[in-house]
Amino acid sequence: MLAVLPQLIVSGIATGMLYALIALSVTVGYRATTVVNFGHGDLVMAGAYATFVFVGSGLPFAPALILALASLFLFGVLTQRVFMQPIINGPHLSLAMMALAIGYAVRGGARLEWGSEVVILGRPYDQGAFMVGSVVLTMDDLVISGFVVALLLTLAIVFHITPIGRLIQAVFQSQRGAALVGLNVHAFHGMMWGAGAALGAAGGVLLGLLVPLSPDLGVYTLIRGFAAMTLGGFGSPFGAVVGGIVLGMMEKLLGFYVSTVFIDITAYLVTILVLLIRPSGLFGQRATVRI
Amino acid sequence: MQLSKTFYALAAVAALASPALAADNMQGITATTIKIGNLGPFSGDAAVFNPLNFGPEAYLRYINDKGGIHGRKFETVFADSACNEAKGIAAAKKLIYEDKVFMIMGNPCSGVAMAIKPMLEQEGIPWMGPAANPKLTRPTSPAMFHTTYTGIESGEAMAGFALSNPAIKKIAIVEHSNDWAHGYCNPASDFIKKNGGEVLTRIAMERGSTDGTTQALQVKTLGAQAVLGCLYQPELIILLRDLQKFGVAATVVGALGADFDQTVQQVNSPAAVRDKFFQPYQFKAKIGTPALKEFEDMFVKYLKKDELPKAGPPTNFYYFGVPVGIVTVEGFRRAGPSPSREKWIAAIESIKDFDTGVLADTVTFSKDKHVGVSRMYAVGLDKDGKQTVYTAWGKPLPE
Amino acid sequence: MADAPKSAAPATKAPPAWRQRRYLFWLIPLLLLPLPFYLGQYKQYVVNLILVYVPVGVGFNIVVGNLGLLAFSNVAFFGIGAYTSGVLALKLGWPWWATILPAGLMGGLVGCIAGVPALRGVRLFYLAIMTLAFGELLRWVYIRWVPVTGGSFGMSVPKASINVFGWPLPTEGDKFYAFLFLAVLMVVLTDRLLRSRFGRAFMAIKGNEQAAAAMGIPTDRYILLAFAWGGFVVGVGGSMYAALVGHVTPIAFDLAELILEFAVVMVGGLGSLVGSVLGAAIITAAPEFFREWPGFQEMLFGVLIVLVILFLPRGVASLLARVHPIFIDRYYRD
Repeated sequence: MLAVLPQLIVSGIATGMLYALIALSVTVGYRATTVVNFGHGDLVMAGAYATFVFVGSGLPFAPALILALASLFLFGVLTQRVFMQPIINGPHLSLAMMALAIGYAVRGGARLEWGSEVVILGRPYDQGAFMVGSVVLTMDDLVISGFVVALLLTLAIVFHITPIGRLIQAVFQSQRGAALVGLNVHAFHGMMWGAGAALGAAGGVLLGLLVPLSPDLGVYTLIRGFAAMTLGGFGSPFGAVVGGIVLGMMEKLLGFYVSTVFIDITAYLVTILVLLIRPSGLFGQRATVRI
Repeated sequence: MQLSKTFYALAAVAALASPALAADNMQGITATTIKIGNLGPFSGDAAVFNPLNFGPEAYLRYINDKGGIHGRKFETVFADSACNEAKGIAAAKKLIYEDKVFMIMGNPCSGVAMAIKPMLEQEGIPWMGPAANPKLTRPTSPAMFHTTYTGIESGEAMAGFALSNPAIKKIAIVEHSNDWAHGYCNPASDFIKKNGGEVLTRIAMERGSTDGTTQALQVKTLGAQAVLGCLYQPELIILLRDLQKFGVAATVVGALGADFDQTVQQVNSPAAVRDKFFQPYQFKAKIGTPALKEFEDMFVKYLKKDELPKAGPPTNFYYFGVPVGIVTVEGFRRAGPSPSREKWIAAIESIKDFDTGVLADTVTFSKDKHVGVSRMYAVGLDKDGKQTVYTAWGKPLPE
Repeated sequence: MADAPKSAAPATKAPPAWRQRRYLFWLIPLLLLPLPFYLGQYKQYVVNLILVYVPVGVGFNIVVGNLGLLAFSNVAFFGIGAYTSGVLALKLGWPWWATILPAGLMGGLVGCIAGVPALRGVRLFYLAIMTLAFGELLRWVYIRWVPVTGGSFGMSVPKASINVFGWPLPTEGDKFYAFLFLAVLMVVLTDRLLRSRFGRAFMAIKGNEQAAAAMGIPTDRYILLAFAWGGFVVGVGGSMYAALVGHVTPIAFDLAELILEFAVVMVGGLGSLVGSVLGAAIITAAPEFFREWPGFQEMLFGVLIVLVILFLPRGVASLLARVHPIFIDRYYRD
């Protein structure tokens, strides 16, 4: 039984990277606007289908991917400016519901087009596997992990070295203050919401390498993303990644050594336990009300 | 008390005497048309199964094109159940009480079918559909018929095919935690135990899974010789891929929730499927061969563009749905020029050894047997990657 | 829009004229009484389904509207109510009417449990995600606890059990009267609650929780009460669902159902009792009007909610409030 432990951990990390990316993309939007996008899962799905459409129109994979991410970025900016910004001071429920409703409409659109069939994105590389000791590593694992690590490094640079990081922090802490010192907070919100959408779309594409596309693609993953954010600490990009990886490993270990029926609820159990025992998660601020 | 009894007696007499009851028995039938309700998941996350609704619809249009049955043409009213009980009941009630259809056809969702069953029985509305829950027709319900395989036939076919290989005794089951999957894998598990096999474990793999490492490693650790996968297509693909990834040599038998051709194509790795992945097979020949060509042509000719797949030929769900239309029409043919519900039901119950032209088995109903088919084949790729239909392990169906 | 009466209310000591005419609301159920004589089975069923969603919306609105907490656990209360009625009727042979109160109580109990994190200071999106997880966890229990719940196949509620004091409810029209009574009862009781000091406390907590606590309002107790009463009302709705649909399965209480219940509250009007009722009617009936375009349903539904939030942030109820002040909810402020 213990012989497969290294494999479970490695596969757990690979799966966790995907959750991490979703969590990271929600975090980017949240850091900028202090609003959690509950419709984010549908943007993840839209990213995968957008790439599918561009590839289907004859483009090679890389330009198709870039076009898809750009489209989702634009979509994110637009929805933030047109739908979220006007109600940004309204009840939180309206914000949550608005994001959900936009996502629901997007999902409905995807269902209309692809609802009655299963399509796949197809990998732009060979589906190889390598043995490292007794552990099997696939190209998928490497591509996904590589992408997420590269992204995390980029974000770390952006957040901590460039002025954008300070900007984000300023707006996160006090929007009025940021506006007072001459920041265009609205435009900033839109851009960051778009960036979150584009990152989510990237997550969708990576997901699409592994599984066939369906309009419900993002819904299942988003819950894992939320759990990863909670575990790592809300609002912390680093925490989101660590949370994702830990969640991925926990699913594998709990599933293998206890029972596979727990895989599906690992994310829920983690969320509840973390918020009851250590609401700030591993690396986050306190999870209490902003008044 | 006495008064009300008298009242009911009078009402009953009045009802019998009036033409209302006769009209009710012929609800949906005019001199030139027969109105059929086609209930299915046209929205929601089960919409992927709606080809099961378009298969029979294509056949009705084909019959209409040939002049109909006894001078009557079929008129279909579609209704969306979204595979949700509350919505499905509303849809069925609309079909029955507003559109006044003769019968309900289609209905691939077992939950909705079970929820509307009491209403169908109360109103005597005939039902014929591909929903796999065996409880719909066992015990026999007066007006409900399965002319496709229920979970029992399919589940036993899955287990039976695996056990027909004398080398296979130890079997693992991987399944979704939903009624559909349990509908296949519960009978399969019982069949294995009854027929000298061993069910090593029943492993859950939920919808939306992105990875099957845990499941594949459990199968490997337990040393299963075969895996029965009661999974929808996306998860079946993931399981096949991950079994291959970890070098698990076990035979995999899938359920009917996935399209065989698409699954093989989307796994995209010959080694993961050749001589390894099988599915119960409902049809008398391979899809795409001349024996089933007439149906492919029928789908392409009579279905609208948005009722067909975006790309490629019609998938096996279209073929799986079509017998529902064929047997329904056969009932009307046999019921004669003035059909009623009783006559149609009697006509269906009179069907013996009827060849639908598409199913692996002939259809036989009787008064107390409302599941018309049982024999199934299996489909798989042989060692050379050629798609083959088998009657049992290693025994290809002669072409 | 609601400014004038809002500022005028505290000044006047005697109840204003509109308040005295509140009894006019009783006309609504009275006017509905003859409905079964005009509606066929299908339309009556849709009306009954609306009545199921009235308590569901009313209960949900207490927590998310009046108390302003982002709690996503409403489907859990709905499900537990339906399952309680189903299990009692099927396994213990209870008549349906006797299961209504236990269903409500179970809903209230689950409400208390779902409210615990809120007491521990979990708020906003944390609370949303946590309560979401709680609801899904409960659904997992429905699937796994096969001997009691029937697992993924769910359970059929025996037809004979659906009666009121032995009086059977075979048709949709019969069920209508029982449902109308329950829906009205839940609305009236909730109205009483909200117009009492409890409602005023909810309003204070929603406005500024710390200030409310500083003023000596035991906020914890009121939050728990809101969850418990919300759970009770929704649990009764669940019991009605079990009687109407007659088949209780885990899939009926999934995330899609949560979005539907959200839509009831949002489209109707946050924190508005009138809104909950209107929302239930609109959201339940809308799919029936979209029937001709099944594939478009989800998209239209999403667009509808987006439009309502943008242009009617206080829901359809705010339109009525503009027509006549009687429709203004006195126990809610933005």
